[in-house]
Amino acid sequence: MGLTPLSEWSGQIGELVIGATRTDGGTRSHAVTIGGERDLPYIGIPPSGHIPRVAYELTDDPSLWQSAAIRTIGDRAHDPSDWAAFAEKELQPDLIRLYLSSTRRRGFSDLSQIGKTVEAVLQATKLPLIIEGSNDPALDSSVFRKIGEAAEGERVLLGTAESGRYRSAAAAAMAYGHSLIAQSPIDINLAKQLNILLRETGLPHDRIAIDPYTGALGYGFEYSYSVMERIRYSALKGDTDLAMPLISSAADSLTVKEVREAEGGDADQAAVAWEMYSMLPATLAGASIVCVRHPLSIAGLKSAIASLWNGQKSVGV
Amino acid sequence: MPLKPLDIYKLLPKKNCKECGDPTCLTFAMKLSGGKAKPEACPYLDDNAKTILGASTRPPVRRIRIGVGERALTVGEELVQFRHEKSFFHEPGIMIAVTDMMPAESIKKEVIFVRDWVLTRIGTDLRLNGIAVRSVSGSPEQFARAVGAVEEVADLPEVLMADDPLVMEAGLSVCGNYRPLIHAARLLQYREMCRLAKKYGCPLAIKADSLDSLAELSGLCVAEGVDHLVLDLSSPNLHALLNASTAVRQHAISRTTPALGYPVCIDTGLGGLSDASLIAGVTKFGSVLICDDLPGASRKALLVLRQNIYTDPQKPIQITPGLYRVGTPGRDSPVLLTVNFSLTFFTLQGYLEASRVPCFMLIVDTEGLSVLTAVASGKLQETVVRDAIGKYDLANEVSHRTLIIPGYSAPLSGRIEEITGWKVLVGPRDAADIAEFLEKEWKP
Amino acid sequence: MPTVTFLPSFRKTEVAQGSTILEAAQKAGFHMNVVCGGQGKCGKCTVMVRSGETEFDREKFGNFFSRDEAGEGACLSCQTRVMGDVRVLIPEGSLVQEQQILIDTPGVPVELDPAVWKYALSLLPPTLDDPSPDLSRLLWGIEKKGGPKEGAIYAPLEVIRQIPKVLRESGWKITATVALVPGGYRLINVEKGNTTSHCYGAAVDLGTTTVVVYLRSLIDGSIVGIGSNYNRQISCGEDILSRVNYAKRGGLGKLQSLATESINAALTTASNSAGIDRDDIYEVVVAGNTIMTHILMGIDPAYMIEEPYVPVVRRHLTTAARRVGLAVGENSGLFIFPAVSDFIGGDIIADILASGMTETNDISLLIDIGTNFEVVLGNRDWMFACAGAAGPALEGGEVLFGMRANPGAIEQVSLDLDTLEPSYRTIRNQKPKGLCGSGLIDLLAELLRACVIDRTGRINPMISHERIREGRQVPEFVVAWRDETSIGKEIVITENDIKALIMSKASILAACQTLMNQAGIERSAISRIYFSGAFGNYINKDHAIMIGLIPEVPVDRVITMGNGAIAGANIALLNRKKKRILDEIARKIAYIELNADPSFMDEYTGSCFLPHTDLSLFPGVERMLDQCRIRRVSP
Ligand code: SF4
Ligand code: FES
Repeated sequence: MGLTPLSEWSGQIGELVIGATRTDGGTRSHAVTIGGERDLPYIGIPPSGHIPRVAYELTDDPSLWQSAAIRTIGDRAHDPSDWAAFAEKELQPDLIRLYLSSTRRRGFSDLSQIGKTVEAVLQATKLPLIIEGSNDPALDSSVFRKIGEAAEGERVLLGTAESGRYRSAAAAAMAYGHSLIAQSPIDINLAKQLNILLRETGLPHDRIAIDPYTGALGYGFEYSYSVMERIRYSALKGDTDLAMPLISSAADSLTVKEVREAEGGDADQAAVAWEMYSMLPATLAGASIVCVRHPLSIAGLKSAIASLWNGQKSVGV
Repeated sequence: MPLKPLDIYKLLPKKNCKECGDPTCLTFAMKLSGGKAKPEACPYLDDNAKTILGASTRPPVRRIRIGVGERALTVGEELVQFRHEKSFFHEPGIMIAVTDMMPAESIKKEVIFVRDWVLTRIGTDLRLNGIAVRSVSGSPEQFARAVGAVEEVADLPEVLMADDPLVMEAGLSVCGNYRPLIHAARLLQYREMCRLAKKYGCPLAIKADSLDSLAELSGLCVAEGVDHLVLDLSSPNLHALLNASTAVRQHAISRTTPALGYPVCIDTGLGGLSDASLIAGVTKFGSVLICDDLPGASRKALLVLRQNIYTDPQKPIQITPGLYRVGTPGRDSPVLLTVNFSLTFFTLQGYLEASRVPCFMLIVDTEGLSVLTAVASGKLQETVVRDAIGKYDLANEVSHRTLIIPGYSAPLSGRIEEITGWKVLVGPRDAADIAEFLEKEWKP
Repeated sequence: MPTVTFLPSFRKTEVAQGSTILEAAQKAGFHMNVVCGGQGKCGKCTVMVRSGETEFDREKFGNFFSRDEAGEGACLSCQTRVMGDVRVLIPEGSLVQEQQILIDTPGVPVELDPAVWKYALSLLPPTLDDPSPDLSRLLWGIEKKGGPKEGAIYAPLEVIRQIPKVLRESGWKITATVALVPGGYRLINVEKGNTTSHCYGAAVDLGTTTVVVYLRSLIDGSIVGIGSNYNRQISCGEDILSRVNYAKRGGLGKLQSLATESINAALTTASNSAGIDRDDIYEVVVAGNTIMTHILMGIDPAYMIEEPYVPVVRRHLTTAARRVGLAVGENSGLFIFPAVSDFIGGDIIADILASGMTETNDISLLIDIGTNFEVVLGNRDWMFACAGAAGPALEGGEVLFGMRANPGAIEQVSLDLDTLEPSYRTIRNQKPKGLCGSGLIDLLAELLRACVIDRTGRINPMISHERIREGRQVPEFVVAWRDETSIGKEIVITENDIKALIMSKASILAACQTLMNQAGIERSAISRIYFSGAFGNYINKDHAIMIGLIPEVPVDRVITMGNGAIAGANIALLNRKKKRILDEIARKIAYIELNADPSFMDEYTGSCFLPHTDLSLFPGVERMLDQCRIRRVSP
């Protein structure tokens, strides 16, 4: 017998399924299951639970997007369904995360467009989807209902509930059979509080992904990293109110000075490096879904994750 | 896990004699628990107490020094598996590899780069740490020449990488007095390598096929009289690497396998995934990271990640209080108040920059506490705000009298208005909403 | 002279025309609330003139009273002159409330054993055959009466100087007063005749905002008078920091004399109402926070508020009371409680003494709540303490309709879980004016139980009910409709109020948890929780646990002790042996700086939740809340 890691745990991370295939009443080509771990990330032969997944983020309002992320996307950026189709074919992420950023513009009112965008993207890609709605309590209820309805049957992951505004998103998730991202500002207690609040609205734990918020690499990433480690640790120690998969996004890391100020080819390299150096650590801290915006980040992350998972260059779906 | 003060107190003599320099045994126990005192300071400990307290304060991972002088690298002394439990102490050294096949000029260029390159962030200089010299030719002379080229331009910490003790000795004859890391002893030649390590007083990296044989080899080296060891866990298979480094850290800090109580070395140039191995090394317990080629963007991101992971999580980084400008604000630009906790500052600054609204950030001194805790502990009070407004002469910077305060400090709004005479707008709790807030609410 | 008749007791007194009603009331023996010292600023001395001629500037002081009250003849007694025979009603709220004090702490009865004794002596005059000097004669007399040995009593010069005259003029019948001071026995007074029944001591709580004085007979221990007063230093700054800053700017002398003035005024109130002479007060025991006692003693407090925050003295202090300006007997002693640190002062040591927590092996948690709070955890062997700012929400500050516990404050509330209709009780059953701390705690607990708010204090917008509505900025809950209140408006609690309350309670709970973590003990190990501070008197203990203000323990383990500082000062006054253990108590306490404790931040965010993020810390509350939720979803 060999010397192996010593930790003993009593808890297990819950499993969360994103995407419904035809047999489940949806139209996705496959479903992605995350969570299920009984140990630290990548630990064990084979590791417990499911491999971390890479999501590619896109938006229906590219004017709010980091320029480094869309430089190589070109005109497709103006049509989310084109963009999504391109992403699935060329970039091959595990998931697509669609931000309905237009809902965050002042004076937003075009609800029907939201429904159309969601339907078009669902048409254009068969990948499981994460869909981000509004972040204004005044709009939430109608926006989330619209998204929920448009994606009914597809078992998407809806974003985001926060402690100040969780009821509308939770209600839409429950009514239309979706799951929900619970986001809290870099604090294990706040993350747990939100999960309790959601539980008390009736949303089951296996329909929640925790987003403890990821600070930019170099500007607070260490707090997020440790909060993710702590959440994972507490869950493995048996805290069921924290035993949900984690989702982490590099969005903030693209806004840092080092990336913003890089030019030309350096700009792409910087963006890719910053995403890699924040999202791979995120998986090491416990994230089950990591999200990037630069198209060139996906392949590198996927192969690094594969090697960490089982030493292989890649892992089939 | 450190012992609780009360558990330690129960072990102390309870004489309250003050000889330890503390007023009572209980306060001494608190210091011991926090690692701020040494058990020896109390002359009256019984043997039982000495063993228990001694064991809980001696670092389970051996301290190792590589190189000499200003840039010498210290690693080891780690106590925890998760940084939030206390802190990670010694940043891993990043050693840029050169080979003995490279012309001396290229070697020197590389060394000078490592010597001089610096990235300054938050007032700290981030640097690469040293040079690893790989023996590729297998020739002792060529290895010595390469080491000589390194020595010619800098006195950086070095890793001498050769499996043949003869080659190693040739390298050591050039730089052996400067405490390079000898890389690496294996079961086949460890006696020879140990002899060299003893002769030159150098730390020794050891390498084996499994953790069990590594532990065995470590015992053998100690038996040879070499106990300044570094465990090489390099593998092209990152899964194997991560599992091994996690096991080593757990066995070391739990003192289950003292033979693994040494820092870890990783050669990241093996599997073609050097970024990923560097990341795994920095986050998961690597102490000496050897890498062949580090493009500019990766280099910066790596050093920033290392800085992030090795900051003390219990000591929030503070920003100097003051009036900061975002863009070029004018006299009617908004003023946003926040605390001097670095994360709060940078996050808000990032979003303000993204909002493209020129403005002032009034940073008040809360001793690095976040808004939530500063309000709770009374570090953020109306008087602090008033004093800051006066000190940074805000009234002369702007023509209006409106202050935007963080959402979490809403309870203070009334008192701030009262004491400063400024109108207070309660901003969002989340910095991400600031652009929208300014757009909707801000009118000078 | 006009006669003033006080209702409802019909107590009568005569005063000169033009005297104030306040003066008359004091003469008649009422302990009036004179918080501003009779300046017409605090409105606490309100009386209702029922008949007779008085002078009162209703215009100037009109804003103290509602139209209703003015109609009933309400006026400020300190500003109202008696011009003829009058009948005056004193509402209960205008009298100093005797504070609930735990002189007899549970299981620790205080034995009367003061440090001052009076001996009535009948001495033989000297003769040629018995020429021993006056002093020896006197001291022997004391020894014969069972007092200390002649050689053990020190007689200071000032007293010796009086002896020959007093002895002879009294026909050798005198009363000698002996006190035990740190140097030993001391002869502090000689008087003519037998005055042994006039032997008093004063216990003082010198607070930042108020001063409370208890006068005790040192013969039988009885309470003879109570006085309370605003701390007049308020004119130099509301809070403690501004006082220190005032001292720094050369104002120490002024602050010192304001402190003694405030105590003297309270002493006067108390001794007047008891009809005793202040010279018969032979000992003064003062418990106060560290800065207050430093200032009283004229010691510069400036360095205490700068790093590393050290007080000048921690041990107890004694001196002659007159030296600091206290108007009591000439040689009377002053005893100041010891402190632990800048934040843990003599008031907390007094709390600890009164609780008796240091006299047992069982572990107690003591919480003193005001705008600042202090928490002490420990037992006979060891103690940890910490302090912090809770904000004023729990005392009714920073809450839209919050108020102090004055008449008209809603002090108890319950909600009908089905209809959400509140029922409440106000102090002195007046029409409601606002909500005081205990009412706020009740309300928070009831709103949670009724699922009107979630655990972060947000009002559930999905409930449609007339009492739940969008307020000016945030949602709010209507506690009392306009026609129920005396303020011409509705009384509501807003989401912001609730958040401020949660933040306040969170700091306190987090402090408790931090100490428990330091000590490594679980809540089950806590055998008592003591609440000190005026606020703690009326609090509903179940609700305090339900919202997570204090850790969950069986509710019979929670003890409210009222003003613990004055209780402790009383105990030390009545029993000299208790004084001796105070330094020991203070020394045993290990002070924990919450801001330096990394776990405090975590505990705090964990506590910003009702009752706490770690639900397993409140199993009883959780069971109860679960039932409430089930009840709500399946009506
Ligand atoms: S020296 Fe030892 S016995 Fe003396 S006070 Fe310190 S810990 Fe206690
Ligand atoms: S108004 Fe304050 S005592 Fe009369």
